[in-house]
Amino acid sequence: MGWRPALRPYLLIVPALLLTCGILYPFGLGLYYTLFDFSASKPQPDLVRLENYTTVFTQEAFWNSAWVTVLYAVGAAAAETVLGVSVALLLHRSSVVGRVLEKILILPLMIAPVIAAIIWKLMLQPSVGVVNHLLRPFGLGGVQWTDTPTGALLSSIAVDVWVYTPFVAILALAGLRSLPTSPFEAAAVDGAGWWYTFRRLTLPMLWPYVLVAVIFRFMDSLKVFDIIYALTEGGPGDSTVVLQIRAYLEAIRFQRYSFGISYTIVLWAVVYLAAMVLVKHLGKIQRKAAEAK
Amino acid sequence: MTVRRRLVGWLADAALILYFVFALFPVAWMVILSLKPANQLFSTYFSFSPTLDGYRTVLGDSEGIPFVRFFVNSLVVSVGAVLLSLLVGLPAAYASARWRFKGSENLMFTLLSFRFAPELTVIIPLFVLYQKLGLFDTYVGMVWVLQLVTLPLIVWIMRSYFADLTPELEQAALLDGYSRKQAFVKVALPLVKPGVAAVSLLAFIFAWNNFVFPLILTSSEAQTVTVGALSFLGGDRPKYNLTAAAALVSVVPPLLLALTIQRYLVRGLSFGAVKS
Amino acid sequence: MIRLRGVSKAFGAVRALDGLDLDVREGEFFCLLGPSGAGKTTTLKTVAGLELPDAGTVELDGRDQRGVEPYDRGVAMCFESYALYPHKSVYDNLAFPLRSPRHRLPAARARERIGEVAELLGIAGLLDRSVGQLSNGQRQRVALGRVLVRPARAFLLDEPLSHLDAKLRQQMRAELKAIGSVRRTTTLYVTHDSVEALALGDRIGVIRDGRIVQTGTREEIWYRPHDTEVARAFGRPRINLLPGTVTPGGGFRSADGAVELDLRLRAEAAPGTGVLVGVRPRDLTLGTGPGHPLTGTVYVTEVLGRSVEVTVRLGEQQVALVVPRGEAAGLRPDDPVRLSVRPENLLLFEADRPERPGRRIGP
Repeated sequence: MGWRPALRPYLLIVPALLLTCGILYPFGLGLYYTLFDFSASKPQPDLVRLENYTTVFTQEAFWNSAWVTVLYAVGAAAAETVLGVSVALLLHRSSVVGRVLEKILILPLMIAPVIAAIIWKLMLQPSVGVVNHLLRPFGLGGVQWTDTPTGALLSSIAVDVWVYTPFVAILALAGLRSLPTSPFEAAAVDGAGWWYTFRRLTLPMLWPYVLVAVIFRFMDSLKVFDIIYALTEGGPGDSTVVLQIRAYLEAIRFQRYSFGISYTIVLWAVVYLAAMVLVKHLGKIQRKAAEAK
Repeated sequence: MTVRRRLVGWLADAALILYFVFALFPVAWMVILSLKPANQLFSTYFSFSPTLDGYRTVLGDSEGIPFVRFFVNSLVVSVGAVLLSLLVGLPAAYASARWRFKGSENLMFTLLSFRFAPELTVIIPLFVLYQKLGLFDTYVGMVWVLQLVTLPLIVWIMRSYFADLTPELEQAALLDGYSRKQAFVKVALPLVKPGVAAVSLLAFIFAWNNFVFPLILTSSEAQTVTVGALSFLGGDRPKYNLTAAAALVSVVPPLLLALTIQRYLVRGLSFGAVKS
Repeated sequence: MIRLRGVSKAFGAVRALDGLDLDVREGEFFCLLGPSGAGKTTTLKTVAGLELPDAGTVELDGRDQRGVEPYDRGVAMCFESYALYPHKSVYDNLAFPLRSPRHRLPAARARERIGEVAELLGIAGLLDRSVGQLSNGQRQRVALGRVLVRPARAFLLDEPLSHLDAKLRQQMRAELKAIGSVRRTTTLYVTHDSVEALALGDRIGVIRDGRIVQTGTREEIWYRPHDTEVARAFGRPRINLLPGTVTPGGGFRSADGAVELDLRLRAEAAPGTGVLVGVRPRDLTLGTGPGHPLTGTVYVTEVLGRSVEVTVRLGEQQVALVVPRGEAAGLRPDDPVRLSVRPENLLLFEADRPERPGRRIGP
C-alpha cells in the first residue's frame, strides 16, 4: 500500500509527459539532422559533424541576420515598453475617455500578427496606400515604406509595436492597479512633485510587472517570423532577413534541411541564454520589490 | 492650479486618443477596403459606393481559394488542440500545483521553454517527419504541433489557479467521504472553472492566430485562415478588397472571444506571472 | 479512541512531528495545546490521513490506519481555515457529506438532519446564504455544522474558535461542550489558548517541537507542570519564577540574596545547584500569614476588574500577585509590603538551559 500515494502525482502527469516527448522528439531529431548534410537533393545524407555550424558562423549572411534580429528585437521591445507604459499611465488616470478606450485596448493584440502585417502592407503601399494619401497634404506623399532597407525594418518594427503595445500596456496597467496606495498618499502629504513621485515610487514598484512584459516581448521578437514574412519576406535585399526567416528560406525554400535547422538551433541557444539572464534578473527585481513592500 | 490641472487632463486625453487612433485606424481602414467594389479599389480613398461583393467572393469560394474550408479547418484544429491540451494539461497542472516533485518541475520548465523556442526548430524536422508518417496537411498533424502553443499556456496558467486554491478544500471533501477523484471533480474543478474557460479561450485564440505551423505543415486540406488570407495577395492583380474581407473574417472569432475574457487576460498573457 | 505512537513527519528540512505519542480515550474531549509551529495541525492531519507519517503508527479504535484513505477513517475535521466550499450555499456545504458515497442519506432524511444541526448551532436562518456572505462567527458555525451533521468515530477540531472575537469565543466555548454529540464523541481539539484548553479539555496534552511534553487533567497540568514552559503556558498573570541556588542547609536563596526560603530540600537537589522556585500569582497573599514570609516594595498596581495585580520588587526580581481589590486599596509604589506563600504552593524547577526549559523537580 505504501507506494500508491507516492505514485499518484506521477500518474497525473504521465499524459502530459508523453505529449511533451512527442514535441521533444522532433526537436531531438532536428538536432541530430544538423550533424548531416540532409537536403531534398540528398535524401541519403552523410555525416558532416559540426560542419553545418561552422558554415553558419562563417557566413556573412548569418551575421547580417543576427544583426537585423537584434536591431528588430531591441527596437520593438524598447518602443513597446515606452509606449505601453505610457498608455497604461494615461489609462490609469481613469478619465471618462480612458475608461471607454480601455475596453478596446486588446484589439490589435488579438489579431493574428500575420493578418496585422497584411493590413499594414495594404496601408503602406507607396502609390495607392492610405498612409501616403493621408501624409500627402504634409508634403510626405511618396515615402517608399517597405521598399528601402531602413524603411522596411522600421515598418516591420511599427507593425510589431502596433500588435504588441497592448500586451505591455495590459500588464503595466495591472501592475499600476495593484500598487499600494499608502506611499503615494505619504508622498502627496510631503508635497512631492509628479516627476519625483513617478521616478522614485511608481517606476520602481511597477518595474517587476513591466519587466515581465519586456522579457516576453524581447524573447518573442528575437524569433519574429509572421510579421516579416507577410510584410517584406525579408526584403528588400537581405535587409529584414531575421534568423527565423533565414532558417525558413534555407530549409523550406531551398530545402537544405540540415543547414536550415542549424540556424534555428543557434537562434534557440541565443533565446535560451537571453531567457536565463533575464529571468535571473527578474527574480532579483521581484525579490527586491517584495522586500520594499 | 485648477486651470493647469485641467489642461494636463486634456493633454493626457488627447495623447490617449492619438494612440487609439493609431491602434484602431488600421482595422477601420480594413472595413473600408473590404467594402470597396473592385473597380474603385485604386481610384478612391474614403468616398466610394460600398458593396458586400468582397465578402460574397471570399465566402463564396470563388477565385479558386476555398476560404470557408480554411475557416472550418482553423476551427477544427484550434478546438482540437485546446481539447487535447485540456485533457492532458489539467491533471498535470493539478499535480504540479499540489505536489512539488522533480518530474513535475522538469516538465513545467520544459513546457515553459516551448513558449520561447523558435518554432522552426521543431517544424523543420516535423516537416520531414510528417511527410514520412503521412501527417503532412492533416488535422492530426496540426493538432499535434499546436500543442507547442496550447499546452504550455494551459498547464502554466491552470497551475497558478490550482496553486491559489487551498488544498484544505479538497482535504475537507476527502473527510466528507469523497474519493480523491470526486474531490477534484466536485470541489477543485468547479472553483477553477472560470480560469479553465478563460485559458481555453485564450489558447484557442493563439492556436487560431498561429501562422507558421500551417504555413509549413499544410498545403490545402488542413490549411487555416491565417495562411488562406495571405493567398489573396498573390496572383497578377492584387485583390486588396478581398484580402481585407478575408482578414476581417478571420479576426472575428478571436476578437469576440477576447472581449469575453478581458478580466482573465492579464494572468493568461503573462503565463501566470502577473495576477490581477 | 485515537492512539499515536512514535509519529514523525518532516516537510523538507522542517521536522513537524518528532516521535509523537498520544492517547485520546473513547468519548474524551482532549485538548492539544501548543504554540504555532509546534505540530498541532500536522498531528490532526496525520490522524485524519491527510498527511502520511514518515515513521510511527496511527490507530483508531485499536486498528492500525496504515494505508487507510482519509475517507475510510470515519473522522470528521473542522479546519482552522474552515475550508467551506465557497461555490456552495450554507445548506449545500452542510449537505455535502450527506451526499457522499460513504455517508449518504436519503434527501428527506438529510434535510431533517441538516435542520437539526442548523437549529442546534443557530444558523437555521442562514441556510440559503452563500458562504461569501457570512461573518467569521457564522462561518465557524457552518464549519462545525459540517462536522456534526454526520456520525463520526472522532472529531478533529483545529483551532475552531481562534478567529472569533473575544466575546463570541467565550460564548462558543460554553456552547461547544453542551452539544450532545460532542460530549459523546471522542474529540481531539487543537488550540494555542491555554484558557480554552483548561475550560474545555477533559485532559490536556502540551505539544512542543513535535513532541508531547505532558499529558494530564487540568489539575495535573496546573499543579504538576512538567517544566517551566508548561508552567508559564497556563495562568495569567504568568507564574512567578525566582532564580537562585540551593543552600548547604537545603534551603533556597535567590541570586541577590533578597529571597530566602527554608525549603528543607534533600533528595531533589544537591546544595549549590541552580534552581527556579515557582509560585502562581493567586497563591501569594498580602501580609503575614501561614507559610514562608517574603518582604519587598510595591512596584506597580494594575486593576483587573474586581481584583488587582500587584507587582512587588523582591531585591532584583519582581513577582506578581493577584489580590482582592479591597486588600490592595492603600498600596502606593515603593510602599514596603510583606507577602506570604504556603509551602505546598511552591514549585521547584531545575534552572532553564539553552537547549530545554527546566524540569520540575519538586515538590
